[in-house]
Amino acid sequence: MATNLLDWLRQSFSGQNDCEKCLELLELIMDGEASPEEEKLFHKHIDACLPCYETYNLEASIKKLLQTKLKRKQVPDDLIQKIRSKIRSTA
Amino acid sequence: MSEEKTKQQYTDIEKEQIFDKEFLPHISSMYNFAYRLTFDEDDAKDLVQETYLKAYRFLNSFQQGTNAKAWLFRILKNSFINDFRKKSKQPSKVDYQEVEAFYNSESVDVSMTTDLRVETVQHMIGDEVSSALNALAVDFRTVIILCDLEGFTYEEMAKILDIPIGTVRSRLHRARNLLKEKLQAYAKSMGYNK
Ligand SMILES: [Zn+2]
Repeated sequence: MATNLLDWLRQSFSGQNDCEKCLELLELIMDGEASPEEEKLFHKHIDACLPCYETYNLEASIKKLLQTKLKRKQVPDDLIQKIRSKIRSTA
Repeated sequence: MSEEKTKQQYTDIEKEQIFDKEFLPHISSMYNFAYRLTFDEDDAKDLVQETYLKAYRFLNSFQQGTNAKAWLFRILKNSFINDFRKKSKQPSKVDYQEVEAFYNSESVDVSMTTDLRVETVQHMIGDEVSSALNALAVDFRTVIILCDLEGFTYEEMAKILDIPIGTVRSRLHRARNLLKEKLQAYAKSMGYNK
């Protein structure tokens, strides 16, 4: 009984376990790999937990940084032509 | 439908159609991936060309309508490892050390302490992100490119890299932490934080 109560107290007041679980889910959520249930759990947690919410924001901002700021290189004009002629000459 | 791996027998016209409609549309992604692996325009061109030639040669083992992009990326990554890394002059010792140290501690560490701030990240420019990403060992750089830039799923990444999904996750986690360290060091050197 005493240990059960302790578990209960730990889970409902310190939130330690929730935070760990939350950080484990963070990348799954960000990468769209989490199940609907995991997403629900995650959002419920970060709605209430500021540190986890901030961690999530930081991770997401870095992912967004990569997606929006990295310059893509233009494919050289002659590359497709080169590939085609190489295929023709070896086929 | 059975999952037998019977080879297709495409006619020459079909081959050309698959090549044009399913393979060529990915050339920009392929070229950018190749460039981020080799850091050299000519090497990137060669690598992409080699990949497409192999793809054409082995076209009969490609199932039409399946994931052409993942298939092409897998060929490119293998060409890079088998043919390219050997030729390239750039030293990879550091890479291996970093990667090996990582493999020896496979567990996903959850603690992430950083004083990097969202506003700092938001103000960074392309060149800063680029040099942080390029400073990562090639295996770590690769998972970030595949996941964040090209949008592959974990399952697709596992196939492209020939590793289990669990390894994809832990490698990605490690890669992101390393990238964050680079970004943070950069922010500090610029006096962004504090
Ligand atoms: Zn939390």
